[in-house]
Amino acid sequence: MAENTDALPVARLTGVDKIYRLGDVDVIGLKSISLSIRRRKFTVIVGPSGSGKTTLLNLLGCIDTPNAGAVEVCGQDIALLSDNALSDFRALKIGFIFQNFSLIPVLSAYENVEYPLLLTGVPAKERKERTETMLAAVELSDKARHRPNQLSGGQRQRVAIARSLIKEPELVLADEPTANLDTRTGAAIIALMRRMQEDLHTSFVFSSHDPQLMEWADDTVSIRDGEIIDIKVAS
Amino acid sequence: MNLAHTVSIAFRNLFRNARRSSITLLSVATGGIAVLMFGGFVSQIFHGLETGLVLSGGHLQIFKQGYFHFGAGDPASYGIANYDEVVKTITDDPQMGPLIAVATPQLTLFGVAGNFTDGVSRTFLGVGVVPSDRKRMSTWNHYGMKFPAHPIYLEDDQMETGVVGEGLARVLHLCGPLEVKDCPQPPQKAETTASVDSDIQALANAETHGAASQTQDKGHPKIDLLAATAQGAPNIVTLNVIKAQNQGFKEIDEIYVGMPLALAQKLIYGRGTKQATSVVVQLNDTLTLSNAVDRLNQIFQEKGWGLEVRTFHDLTPFYDQAIGMFRSIFAFLAVLMGAIVLFTVINTMSMVVMERTVEIGTLRALGLRRNAIRLLFLVEGALLGMVGATLGVIMALILATAVNHSNLTWLPPNNVERIPLMVDVLANPRLIVGTWILLVIIATLSAFFPANRAAKLTVVNALHQV
Repeated sequence: MAENTDALPVARLTGVDKIYRLGDVDVIGLKSISLSIRRRKFTVIVGPSGSGKTTLLNLLGCIDTPNAGAVEVCGQDIALLSDNALSDFRALKIGFIFQNFSLIPVLSAYENVEYPLLLTGVPAKERKERTETMLAAVELSDKARHRPNQLSGGQRQRVAIARSLIKEPELVLADEPTANLDTRTGAAIIALMRRMQEDLHTSFVFSSHDPQLMEWADDTVSIRDGEIIDIKVAS
Repeated sequence: MNLAHTVSIAFRNLFRNARRSSITLLSVATGGIAVLMFGGFVSQIFHGLETGLVLSGGHLQIFKQGYFHFGAGDPASYGIANYDEVVKTITDDPQMGPLIAVATPQLTLFGVAGNFTDGVSRTFLGVGVVPSDRKRMSTWNHYGMKFPAHPIYLEDDQMETGVVGEGLARVLHLCGPLEVKDCPQPPQKAETTASVDSDIQALANAETHGAASQTQDKGHPKIDLLAATAQGAPNIVTLNVIKAQNQGFKEIDEIYVGMPLALAQKLIYGRGTKQATSVVVQLNDTLTLSNAVDRLNQIFQEKGWGLEVRTFHDLTPFYDQAIGMFRSIFAFLAVLMGAIVLFTVINTMSMVVMERTVEIGTLRALGLRRNAIRLLFLVEGALLGMVGATLGVIMALILATAVNHSNLTWLPPNNVERIPLMVDVLANPRLIVGTWILLVIIATLSAFFPANRAAKLTVVNALHQV
């Protein structure tokens, strides 16, 4: 009998500890975190600065490893993957949206969006079609040839969203994607992310220190001092 | 991601900090210019030295076995009696003949040259040559050098005319009649002392008296040349000195006497069998030297003539010493320039990696492997090298053309006249390609350490770099 994959979490953390060493001092990033992220849901991780939101996203994004516990993303125990395998895994399965946009400055908006497809060896013709479609989806077709420094903050973040989604990842992670945007633009970006998540049926996890953004979420994880203090799951 | 995309991104990255990239490219280009210009200059020196030697002594000389080591003390015993046959044999040889430009006999001898009118004399080095052959030799200019060959003043039909070094002209008090410039006048003698040279004077008088009927005095000064014949008896001939020619080296200039072969043979062999101490062979192309030596040795072995071949490398050790010295200087300069390029590119690439740490983290997060990050920065280093080296080559070619048309002159060692300052860059494709490749390799190697550091960054640390 076929397994219903929607019922499986897209990511699962079990008893995860993360400790940073700053000089001679150990700083606890995450403490005994156990968490399941539901597939095809819009999940928000909220908490004040320094609460461990970014650390949690780093672990979910397979760009950091825990000191203890297990991290499973898209059904894969990331501890079992080599560095190259992790890179390939990220290239295929995970999309990132960064607070500071992190577009490649020497590439145009079109090339930035196309870039993840180059990493996964998608043929040129298909790349072109998908890139144009994705740019249209974020309403930036007319800015395709613009370099990042020729775009506004909101436009840059829309390019970043398009870049994160073009490879049709199973999981998209956005670390405070509105932090560098004004309120109106930030709201528009969240609305866009939400719309794209619904259109593409992707699992979205984004972090924010703004509790007001919780209204956009299906699921909400509240975190403070490296510990989960509340989980709200939409029915 | 394929290499073309990596190169495309790396190339665009070069223009992100245009000022820094320009300075780096200029450093690479300057290194290239320095190496190419000096290399071109050295190449010109090599060609100049080689041309000078080939014009005066050919590419190789054929001697009787043992002459090279012992002949200077006893030239008469190391003569080649069948030199005409040797010349004919090698020029008619189907393998050797096409390689030869000129093959001509030469007789080298030592003796005493005297201007007994002024009561002065000194030992001399005489070189007897076939003037018409020497004139043909003087046209050799394989490298298109822009300095004139020494003119040949001797003539086949003027057996008793010759030339001397300017130094010998000075010593023999001949500067005035020979119109030697910048020649100091000898101090006035209180009294002429003829007693020491009285026997030689008498012999000279007899020779001069005899020779007077054969040659007309055309206003040229005469000197007497005394040497031991092959049989050991003293012999003397009179030479009409038509010109003083500077021989470059003071040591040679003060003893050199050039004369027709026939006169030299008359002095050494008298009425006996005429011989030559060597056969001078000038080749069309220096590159065939090794083949020529092999073939000549083969011929001489087959004929059983007991002859040996010495190249201009053997005959003039100064040549290889000078080549070695300039090569060492060139290598030192190349290493120095390479080090400057190395550290400049390392510095630039280190700053690039530091500035783009967050970007490196982003690329890694997107799925770029460590090796791809390393490759990206290596390609950037290589591109810096390629663009810089290409600029260097272009600028060196322009600069060399400017120098070659500037009419600047310089006085190289072993030369008596200033020659045009030339820099052989365009004519040295190996130098150009070698320098270009070397600069690209250095720039790529320079980028290796920063590239490696970039590749080893952890994604999280790179992303959160402030």
